[in-house]
Amino acid sequence: MENILRQKAKELLASGEVKVVIGYGWNRAKTRTTPVFITDAADTGQLVWNPLCVNNLSVYLTRKFKDIQALGKPAIVAKGCDIRNIAVLISEAQIKREDVYVIGMACQGVVYKQELWQGELKPNIMPTKCHNCDVRNPHLSDFVVGGKVDFTPPEEPAGMVFDKIRDLDSKSPSERWAFWVKEFSRCIKCYACRQVCSLCYCERCITEKNMPQWIETSAHPRGNLSWNLIRAMHLTGRCTFCGECERACPVNIPLNLVNQKMIMVVKDAFDFKSGYDEKVHPPMIVFSPDDKENFIK
Amino acid sequence: MADKTLKKEDLGKLVDSVRAKGGRFVAPTLLARQVVFRSVKSAEEVATDYILARNSFKEFLFPQTEVIAEFSMSKDSVGLKGVEVNAPETVVFGARPCEAASLKGLRALFTWDFVDEFYTKREDRTVVITVGCTSGDEACFCTTVDLSPESTEGSDVYLRETEDNGYAVTGLTEKGKKFLDTHAAVFTSGAAKEKPLFMPEKLPAIDLKRISERLKDTAHYDDPVWAKLTMKCIGCGACTFVCPTCRCFDITDEGTAFEGERRKNWDSCQYDSFTLHASGHNPREHQPQRWRNRFMCKFNFYPEKFSSKGCVGCGRCIRVCPVRLDITEVMEEFSK
Repeated sequence: MENILRQKAKELLASGEVKVVIGYGWNRAKTRTTPVFITDAADTGQLVWNPLCVNNLSVYLTRKFKDIQALGKPAIVAKGCDIRNIAVLISEAQIKREDVYVIGMACQGVVYKQELWQGELKPNIMPTKCHNCDVRNPHLSDFVVGGKVDFTPPEEPAGMVFDKIRDLDSKSPSERWAFWVKEFSRCIKCYACRQVCSLCYCERCITEKNMPQWIETSAHPRGNLSWNLIRAMHLTGRCTFCGECERACPVNIPLNLVNQKMIMVVKDAFDFKSGYDEKVHPPMIVFSPDDKENFIK
Repeated sequence: MADKTLKKEDLGKLVDSVRAKGGRFVAPTLLARQVVFRSVKSAEEVATDYILARNSFKEFLFPQTEVIAEFSMSKDSVGLKGVEVNAPETVVFGARPCEAASLKGLRALFTWDFVDEFYTKREDRTVVITVGCTSGDEACFCTTVDLSPESTEGSDVYLRETEDNGYAVTGLTEKGKKFLDTHAAVFTSGAAKEKPLFMPEKLPAIDLKRISERLKDTAHYDDPVWAKLTMKCIGCGACTFVCPTCRCFDITDEGTAFEGERRKNWDSCQYDSFTLHASGHNPREHQPQRWRNRFMCKFNFYPEKFSSKGCVGCGRCIRVCPVRLDITEVMEEFSK
């Protein structure tokens, strides 16, 4: 697959169809992958593809990255799950479909965190999203690398995140509240969750609006709750469960639980899952007279 | 040389002894699937199997958020009240030699043009007990910045793990020796065979002197290599928050229009708002420029201004970076 990827990248750069290929390369010790930006057809040998390619590179398509946008039209190496974010970015008018070349990667799953890698992709080191993936054969691509992946996701979503959500749902509201207050108490307000998220593309986040100060920036329980809950609300109906926020969190806050729960709420209320169709707008920004309202209690 | 030993089973006695005198015992503990420094009540909470804690112990000297003043306003008066520094006697147990070496730079910064008692009083009342490393990983590079698991800079007491499951204890500073005397009942005399230390390989292509020379020459400001190496940086600031030497902060007022608190909060040079002027102009508008500043701070500003290390090679920034931006790769580039 790597050779086909490199060959395709080379063609795209040599023909001038794209100006940069956003993909994965090795770190110096060849133990971890890291994002690379290839602008010269001669450098496409740096591109790699393996289960360590966990980053969702679609973040680099957002206006947070002006230096990358300045390079010109990008091609992006994207797993199906990453493409879901690209679809949301298109539907939210952040990028035009024709302004990005999507190299879809047929995927067998990735590791939850690169440090878990010991040379073999086993289910126990894969994130919950991989266990339930319905986009291993990437959609919305201009070119697909790799043959058809023979994987059928389970009928009922399975995995640790879903188990924990069921467990939390069985608790009383005050117990749930206590759980989240405790989890968010660790937050160090580094905003890695926001920065790594391709759907957090605002140039000026609400936390940076200080006239007046909407959210207390202090990393104390009140400020932490405000930040994490507001971020969850902003992602409701948009989040694709790519898991980057939880992966990036230096203090291991289980953000996947919040976001997947909101995905389930939106699925139930609007029968909508984001990232499959770039032509459909997320439910929170459209009005439909058919919307159920029974979720407002 | 070590003349005392601490048996691991006696660690609980040390915790009790410190706490009995009203002190706070900070040690690496397991929390949310990782080892972090926290205040502990018993030896059972202390983790032993770790390379180094995910967070730096700097947060016990320089808290992430703290109230420095309180204010109130009414129709005809304004009240502003300073806050006394809350600086409990603290023992940091199980620090690593790399992170202990960061204290000199922190002190230099907080006493440079103004003595910031919120920091100095806490540091004065803190005893740092380091434990020489018997394990490490590929992110460790202390030897490359002229430190090692044997370094004692910043430590008050230095421990080496011993074959008989204890520690060889050496008091280094007056503060450290006094601490050993105060809690003498916990320690035993004699020596034991020490476990071998983990020595990270010194990265051969890195030359600190050369880096310093290149950074002194402002021509590097426009070097395209910054964009090449750091374009992937997403500006999350996680590296600066876990770094034991990073100490930038912001002052913010929180509360209502009538009363509230003035707080000192950690800040990060990796945020685009860090240098944003009220005019709207931002002298470091692009992420590579912000990354350049971080690198300059560590390998030029700190050593030049404070004769101290801006980087201690602990590798935390490498481990937490979501895009695996490795500072040693930038160091290598600037050693050329």
